[in-house]
Amino acid sequence: MPKLDISYKDLKQLFGRDISIRELEEESLLFIKGEFDGIDNDTLKVDCKETNRPDLWSTEGIARQLKGNHGIEKGIPQFKLKPSGIKVKVEKGMEKIRPYIVAAVARDIKITEDLLIQMIQLQEKVCLTYGRKRREAAIGIYDLDKLSPPIFYKAVAPDGIKFIPLESDKLMTPREILQRHPKGIEYSHLLESFQKYPIVMDSKNEVASMPPVINSDYTGKVTDKTKNLFIEVTGLDKGVVMTALNVVVAALSDRGAKLESVEIDYPDARVISPNFTPKKAKISISYINKISGLNLKNSEIKILLEKARYNVKITNNIVELEYPSYRQDIMHPVDIVEDIIIAYGYNSIEPIIPEISTVGDLDEFEVFAEKVRNLLPGVGAQELLNFTLTNKDMLFKKMNLEESEIVEIANPVSALWSSLRNWNIPSLLEFFTKNVSQEYPQQIYEVGDSVIIDQKAETHTKTIKRLAWAEINADTNYTKARQVLDYVLRSLGISDYTVEDAEHNSFISGRVGCVLIKGRKVAYIGEIHPQVLDNFNLKMPVSAFELNLTDLYEILE
Amino acid sequence: MSHEDIISKLHPLERKVLPLLEQGISFDTLLAKATSMKEIELMRALQWLENKKVIDLKVDIKEVVDLDENGKNYLAEGLPERRLLSQVKKNTKVADIDITKDELSAALGILRKKAAITIEKKSEGLFLSITPAGEKSLQKESLEESFLKKLPIELKDLKDEDKFALESLKQRKRIIKTDIRKIRTIFLTSVGKEIVLKDLKKVSSSIDRLDPAMLQTSSWKNKSFRKFDVSINVPKIIAGRRQPYLEFLNDIKRKLVGLGFKEMTGPLIESEFYNFDVLFQPQNHPARTWTDTYHLKYPTHGILPDKKIVNAVKSAHENGGSTGSTGWHYNWNPEIAKQLMPRAHGTALSGRQMAKGIKIPAKYFGIARCYRPDVLDATHLIEFNQMEGFVADDTINFKTLLGMLKQFAIEIAGATEVRFYPDYYPFTEPSVQISAKHPKLGWIELGGAGIFRPELTEALGIKVPVMAWGLGIDRLAMFKLGINDIRYLFSSDLKWLREVKLV
Repeated sequence: MPKLDISYKDLKQLFGRDISIRELEEESLLFIKGEFDGIDNDTLKVDCKETNRPDLWSTEGIARQLKGNHGIEKGIPQFKLKPSGIKVKVEKGMEKIRPYIVAAVARDIKITEDLLIQMIQLQEKVCLTYGRKRREAAIGIYDLDKLSPPIFYKAVAPDGIKFIPLESDKLMTPREILQRHPKGIEYSHLLESFQKYPIVMDSKNEVASMPPVINSDYTGKVTDKTKNLFIEVTGLDKGVVMTALNVVVAALSDRGAKLESVEIDYPDARVISPNFTPKKAKISISYINKISGLNLKNSEIKILLEKARYNVKITNNIVELEYPSYRQDIMHPVDIVEDIIIAYGYNSIEPIIPEISTVGDLDEFEVFAEKVRNLLPGVGAQELLNFTLTNKDMLFKKMNLEESEIVEIANPVSALWSSLRNWNIPSLLEFFTKNVSQEYPQQIYEVGDSVIIDQKAETHTKTIKRLAWAEINADTNYTKARQVLDYVLRSLGISDYTVEDAEHNSFISGRVGCVLIKGRKVAYIGEIHPQVLDNFNLKMPVSAFELNLTDLYEILE
Repeated sequence: MSHEDIISKLHPLERKVLPLLEQGISFDTLLAKATSMKEIELMRALQWLENKKVIDLKVDIKEVVDLDENGKNYLAEGLPERRLLSQVKKNTKVADIDITKDELSAALGILRKKAAITIEKKSEGLFLSITPAGEKSLQKESLEESFLKKLPIELKDLKDEDKFALESLKQRKRIIKTDIRKIRTIFLTSVGKEIVLKDLKKVSSSIDRLDPAMLQTSSWKNKSFRKFDVSINVPKIIAGRRQPYLEFLNDIKRKLVGLGFKEMTGPLIESEFYNFDVLFQPQNHPARTWTDTYHLKYPTHGILPDKKIVNAVKSAHENGGSTGSTGWHYNWNPEIAKQLMPRAHGTALSGRQMAKGIKIPAKYFGIARCYRPDVLDATHLIEFNQMEGFVADDTINFKTLLGMLKQFAIEIAGATEVRFYPDYYPFTEPSVQISAKHPKLGWIELGGAGIFRPELTEALGIKVPVMAWGLGIDRLAMFKLGINDIRYLFSSDLKWLREVKLV
């Protein structure tokens, strides 16, 4: 979600009218899915929730949209464009590296501080969010007067050329940039796998940039002395690069720049950019009213769509639309319906409680688990809710166990939470450690999920719900644990269970049992091994059991 | 209350203590005198006497520095740095030194700071040599060592060199601890002074305890019972209770069932297919990147469901399928969809449920444990619960969506007013965020909702509009439980769990 800094004064100037902060916050920003995050002097903080409309990520774009919604302009925004005569020649082979480039010229521009801030912010947000961190769109802006067209988009060997990149004063080869320049290091993963790297240069072999990494210091620096701009966007999808270019130059045009188009000569095709030819769509009145529920008349729909900056023609209850070329977010008529509802105003709608008659119900297994949960307070046990994330140390080493296969996180934030638990008793012992100074006896339980590996399952894992119970007290013992387990099982109507001798290194040998129901192992029960207690820094005996409710439920079914 | 009245209400424990009392006697002295009483019994008797205004209990608090577990050992066997240094000659191999790993790293740091040793790294490992300064320090006792010998000591009696030693030892593991000790002194009140002089035995012939034998023999008849002080404080009982946050969630579950919703559940480990692809979230979406979601080291890939669903999802992504949508224009990769991860959001549950097949009209909800890479602090959890659901019916539209949300806000959150904000989610259009005005909390962000995109529902064979919602109920839970720290939802504080007010 792009977070934007907007100059309030600048916004009012571009909008063409005064508008209060309150009106912006409560009404106008809603038209751009903007959330007001405060104002600091003249700087409005706006969080634009619309991640698919880069045209809204600048003061210019916001003002353009609001002019429609507030009735200052209507229909599709107009941009003047004439040919510059400049060509970009794309060398063969680029299709295997970074296939697409588009470009434009913006002349007679007055570079003000507001413009510069917005241009840089827009460029950054577009490359980051819409361009997926420059992978799919990277934008370069240059001083046109320092370039000698035609412009070439070609591939060079890692050591095949030298230029001074921005934020440096040394001549560097592309390889050196990727290894040493901060931006080179940051974006090297986008180029590393190629034999040759993309370069934009002019007819005098002056390098403009190495997309998507960095511009040259000479041509790629825009200052208040710059009069004419050359803008290019490179990327992997022709639609995405064109949208990014259209968005950036539309904003410059809103500030009075004279836009000129550039001819892109691919080895097998020719493209003129930018492209402001409106896109077209059709939608039926009935679909609009079905989804919105608003029962709008045709004339109302026309007004709302014009506010949302569409050109509209309605014939036979079919709406024919034209909308700006920079809008790549409209994939389906439903996207247009949302624009209509936003223009109508979400808070102008009278909500209707749906009358759909269904019978509600809880999940049957959850009901079973809940029955078990409700049993334990009866024996004096306190219920817990623990995290399922833990680590191998906790599950194996501290529990005196050999490691076995469990779910492991590839990118943990902390080593403490790098695995999912495969049983619950370790969480209970950890809880005891945190509460050694609390009053004894401490009797606790948790009915919670753990995850085991199951190669046959669709997710190669199985989520198991288990009841773990434990008591820490000077005189706790196997009998106590067994009494509690017996109470739980009897309450669930199970009396024909057996407990067999078991080997389990977390418990004291000879004081650990395995509980079987209809021949299936459903629980371990016993006194926790003193070495385990020591590992958890516990100075008092613990008895515990862990009952597999997922299996138990299956057996009872 | 008359003196007789007070005496008639005296508990046997109080009767035992009274004759032993002297003006200004300390609790410890009294305990030594009251040989037949346990400490807790004595304490309770004194508290009752204080309630009856027979005595005043004066409590002085002393902060005392004392040896902790490691400190006790070190006092006996020497601090790790001394034990290490005494074994170091010239080029002594670290592996040959008798010291535990934990102690080694601590001791090395300290000795290096004091320039008592030099460290050399060779191919066979680390080697240490003692310096002249090291030789010297072996000869004399360090500030820390002399400090340990002085313990226990009251904090206010510390000299400057003690303070220095205290600070340096505090940084280290379990060497010293600061205890708060209460010193209790007993003073007789004017009432007390008189009562201790009376003959307590004279009035103690009443029945203290009704036992079964008395009932069998009717020996209780014509006797009086010792009067109790019914206003007395009693020790707290420890009982078993349910976890308060789970009870809060149960409460919300009940309300949703009451509104006609069926509960859905799903696995904790999900494929990206159900986490994202089924929900029409493109594979290059920023929310699917490494920094925003967990990925698994093991197991890495699962199995995709039925080919029919997979193919429908694939074409929805690539070209919109049969919906008239343009789709996202890219080559959908089944290998990415197979990747496993802990469930990233509750909507994965809805995706799974819809893929399983639903009968229209359908209303479902689920409480889903979700995982996102975050640090654990007062405002963030490493895993959390999301409450999600959907309604599928031909009568669904944006107006009824707002109606349902408003109903949730009022019935579930106890809100008095709602406001709606346009929002964006990759899987819904139109999308809305709901804010609710809670009478005590003010405006809170209650959740997000929308109508599932047709690319999503039609790929799963659902022909009617489906409205989806997710509620953020944790702030509400925190308010109801009276906590400011979100970690208390998964509390590991037993005292709090035992005492928190039920919601």
